[in-house]
Amino acid sequence: MAEPQLTVRDLTVRFPTTRGVVQALNGVNIELEKGQMLGIVGESGSGKSVTAKTLMNLLPRSAEVEGEVIFEGNDVRKLAAEGREHFWGVEMTMVFQDPMTSLNPVKKCGEQIAETLRYHLGRSKKEALEEAVDLLGQVGLPDPAKRVDQYPHELSGGLRQRVVIAMALACQPSLLIADEPTTAVDVTVQRNLLNLLDRLREERGMSMILITHDLGVARGRCDDVAVMYAGRIVERSDTETLFSDSRHPYTDALLRSIPRIEQPSHTRLEPIPGRPPELINPPEQCAYAPRCRFAQADCLEAIPESQGVKGMHEFACFHPANTDRGREALAANVAAGETAAGLPITGYAGGAA
Amino acid sequence: MAGTGRAPLRDDPNVLVTVTDLEVEFPVGKGAVVHAVSGISFDVAEGETLGIVGESGCGKSTVAKSIIRLNSIKSGSVDYQGHDLAQLEGEALRKIRPDLQMIFQDPISSLNPRRKIRDVISEGLAVWGDEQGSWSQDRIEELMLAVGIDPKFGDRRPHQFSGGQCQRIGIARALALDPKVMICDEPVSALDVSVQAQVLNLLEDMKQRYGLTLLFISHDLSVVKNVSDRIIVMYLGKACEIGNADELYENPRHPYTRALLASIPEPAPTVDPSDGDIEGELPSPINPPAGCRFNTRCRHATDICYREEPVMQQVGDQDHYFACHHPVEVAVGL
Repeated sequence: MAEPQLTVRDLTVRFPTTRGVVQALNGVNIELEKGQMLGIVGESGSGKSVTAKTLMNLLPRSAEVEGEVIFEGNDVRKLAAEGREHFWGVEMTMVFQDPMTSLNPVKKCGEQIAETLRYHLGRSKKEALEEAVDLLGQVGLPDPAKRVDQYPHELSGGLRQRVVIAMALACQPSLLIADEPTTAVDVTVQRNLLNLLDRLREERGMSMILITHDLGVARGRCDDVAVMYAGRIVERSDTETLFSDSRHPYTDALLRSIPRIEQPSHTRLEPIPGRPPELINPPEQCAYAPRCRFAQADCLEAIPESQGVKGMHEFACFHPANTDRGREALAANVAAGETAAGLPITGYAGGAA
Repeated sequence: MAGTGRAPLRDDPNVLVTVTDLEVEFPVGKGAVVHAVSGISFDVAEGETLGIVGESGCGKSTVAKSIIRLNSIKSGSVDYQGHDLAQLEGEALRKIRPDLQMIFQDPISSLNPRRKIRDVISEGLAVWGDEQGSWSQDRIEELMLAVGIDPKFGDRRPHQFSGGQCQRIGIARALALDPKVMICDEPVSALDVSVQAQVLNLLEDMKQRYGLTLLFISHDLSVVKNVSDRIIVMYLGKACEIGNADELYENPRHPYTRALLASIPEPAPTVDPSDGDIEGELPSPINPPAGCRFNTRCRHATDICYREEPVMQQVGDQDHYFACHHPVEVAVGL
């Protein structure tokens, strides 16, 4: 198999703060093939956005970064150190969550797109504006010739996000990172935007990393999905397997906790107890162990390494769900009435028991 | 009557709140008005959860706020235990408000950051007292325990709690006055998925324990279905479809309801993916389209949809009503 387009190895990010060092990323590994759509899901604070910002070289200077990021044979962190221009924004671009704050409110939409083209590709003002009209047409803005002269506040949220996408696509990137691109918009608009991104990705043979907290979005749109928890990727596999045969208890619990449209109303949900861990001075144990229904003594003694089939289905857990080992762990905890971390287990209806 | 009609109103002694032909407008200067809610009628029975679902700008929050008179009502009535809330003023309105409490979307900004949570929760009691006109710290502790906050943290301030915990505190505050109706405006939208389920279960438990009637507003169709007995689908200030939660999702008749159900990331199995293909943008509520308000985006629209506003009609004898000239036919008897 050819080299992946993007390889991230042992990426670690620390933020020193007055309260202590925040361990935001703790050894993240990603491989992305060209043309692939990778979903990164997780809750707030799990490190999804920090991963994206590290790739885009957008972290504050105070951040301490270690590890390797190789993109199409280039060492990305070395490019950053050399102050390389015309890489971010050209080869690798990003779409942010809130389209209002990622556009300049006092500049016309067309100018903002043209600016990118002029800076990176050296287009003249006139050429750049013409291309901007063309780009706005490609992202499905009705009447693009008129829209170039409008300000962001004159557009709805969905149209603004299309302008942001047009801007990200202006220099024909080979990787687009979209960080919660549809979280601020309504479902019908979300569907249109995701359809648009799918179409553009196909037309351009572009790769994409889609960061989302919405498991449904990841399931519906991505080839592969990585689940993050406390600065680590705890499970990664092709989308179908992840949602039908998950291994990490966190993935399993997330899938059980969301209300599903096909369930009758008033179906009792199975929430995940507790809340995400502090990232300052975390103990040397599985970060999910305090909330995990499978937790055993070994989970509290060491951080589980990634296992499974590399590049196919990987997960970092000693007692994976939907396996004999996991079932034994759960049965033992149900019998004891609590997990090794002291989490009481009563009336757990989880099918794996 | 402008379109929606009163068909969904039930003749049932258990009905607690009846909203009839509610209209709300907001002036936006130069004589223009936003038609936020334009003639909507529904009722809520005691102990029921009514879900209101729709996209931003459809008027779902305005409907909820009108019931507790957080915004002025242009016309229509809100009947609650023999009182028309739309007409009440001054002391009479003040006296009825403890019965109607609200929890908000952003749990952190809806709590005063400078006050101890004990004081946040007890403020209503400090104003009203309980039935005997007095109250004690025991009541606060009981409320905190009920929502799963350790009473020993009563002297902490909101910033020392997570979003999920703040929402629990907001729920405790709303429960303090023993309300009959609790209005939940997107209560879990700002929460992470793992915490969302905790809060939804808590609301369900509190509803049982305190005998509440809930009005639950959300843009998330799966969440609304999970909590609701009955659901209203709103679009641009109008009700499109009202009905029993399971029945409505099973046999959606209004093209807009179907569009919503087809647009969610994992579409409902009861609709066709092409139902989600709706064009264009939400029209301005300042100049809403004549006839059916969905006509600018509906692929079924014909002449009549531009001329006449559809009236709510019942599906057989089911608890299911829709306002559409060209309802999507679904095979009956499935």
